[in-house]
Amino acid sequence: MKNKLYLFLIIIFFTVVVIYKPVFAHKVNVFAYVEGDKIYTESYFNDGKKCINSKIEVFDQQGNKLLEGQTDEEGTFSFEIPEKEIINADLKIVLTASMGHRAEYIITSNELKGVRELIEEKVEEPISMNDSEEPEVSSLNLKEIKLLIEEALNEKLDPILSEIREIRKSQTDKISTTEIIGGLGYILGIFGIIAYFLSRKR
Amino acid sequence: MHISEGILSAPVLITGAGLTATAVGYSLKKIEYKEVPKVAILSSVFFVASLIHVPLGPASIHLILNGLTGLLLGWSAFPAILVALALQGILFQFGGITTLGINTLNMALPAIICFYLFNQGVRSKNNFIAQILAFLCGFLAVLLSGIMVAVVLVFTGEGFLQAAKLLLIAHFPVMILEGVLTTFCIGFLRKVKPEILSIG
Repeated sequence: MKNKLYLFLIIIFFTVVVIYKPVFAHKVNVFAYVEGDKIYTESYFNDGKKCINSKIEVFDQQGNKLLEGQTDEEGTFSFEIPEKEIINADLKIVLTASMGHRAEYIITSNELKGVRELIEEKVEEPISMNDSEEPEVSSLNLKEIKLLIEEALNEKLDPILSEIREIRKSQTDKISTTEIIGGLGYILGIFGIIAYFLSRKR
Repeated sequence: MHISEGILSAPVLITGAGLTATAVGYSLKKIEYKEVPKVAILSSVFFVASLIHVPLGPASIHLILNGLTGLLLGWSAFPAILVALALQGILFQFGGITTLGINTLNMALPAIICFYLFNQGVRSKNNFIAQILAFLCGFLAVLLSGIMVAVVLVFTGEGFLQAAKLLLIAHFPVMILEGVLTTFCIGFLRKVKPEILSIG
């Protein structure tokens, strides 16, 4: 009789697990990407609710706080990438939401590479203007070609980049059924061990 | 209700972990051999319950079921909730490993308080009274957890009243829902297997 009840409960459980397919973890996520010379962040709970008016802090690799801000109604926040020197290292973005939730996201120096070039170009531009008097035609052409290539590349890469973003997002959000069933297995195992020790004591 | 990693300071974390360790030690000493399967089952229930989102109210919330866990397990709720939270932390990144102690305390202590308050009541001969008390048990456990989390968050500089208000408003739908669920569970158990309610 007792066994039947447990069996019944276990069956209920697995039905719940199986029915409840799109499971999401209960936590906040912060997600950030670079576009132009700005970093955009999105923050949300895994069920899709946005984190409104939550604090966002940005740290450099040494843990120094660079800037701080609040998310808007859409849960987004954007900031210009601070100081050129810092661009060489990773940036850590920390979200502190209400009710004791917190999340981190790291923008790697790789992602910041494009920005670094952009800024370097800006810095270089006036200089190159000055000494580009003699080979004017060829250098202008070069620049134009470079711009064209960049434009074409951006166009081609945009969908791929946004897809990568989506994949990254879903990777952090989803909980697989394997994990749930694995977790249940662990629980039974742990209590099995406890039961074993208790039985030895008797 | 799961407090994330990196929010609380070390003294708070250590206090929480210490209290939880003591309570778990005490309850493991007390636990009876025959009880272990029940504890395992309710631990799994608790583990899975947090995946069920409640799409009501202003914030992102999920079931907790600490009232039911406490009512059926008594002191054994501590190891049950500890194990479930540890696995939620490892597998789903709910809460965290450093905050495991304080999170367990926040959810298991209300469970035990509810056990002492309602354990007698839900075995009452009067079906109606038993069901009302079961509802209150589910309701109160979440309420107390919310208050405890608010108290803990005071140490992070969030104002108590503000944090408590936010938590309790956000969790009000969960309180109601858990009250109803606990009522159903107790009603079912009273019919099918009344002796399960009598063990502490």
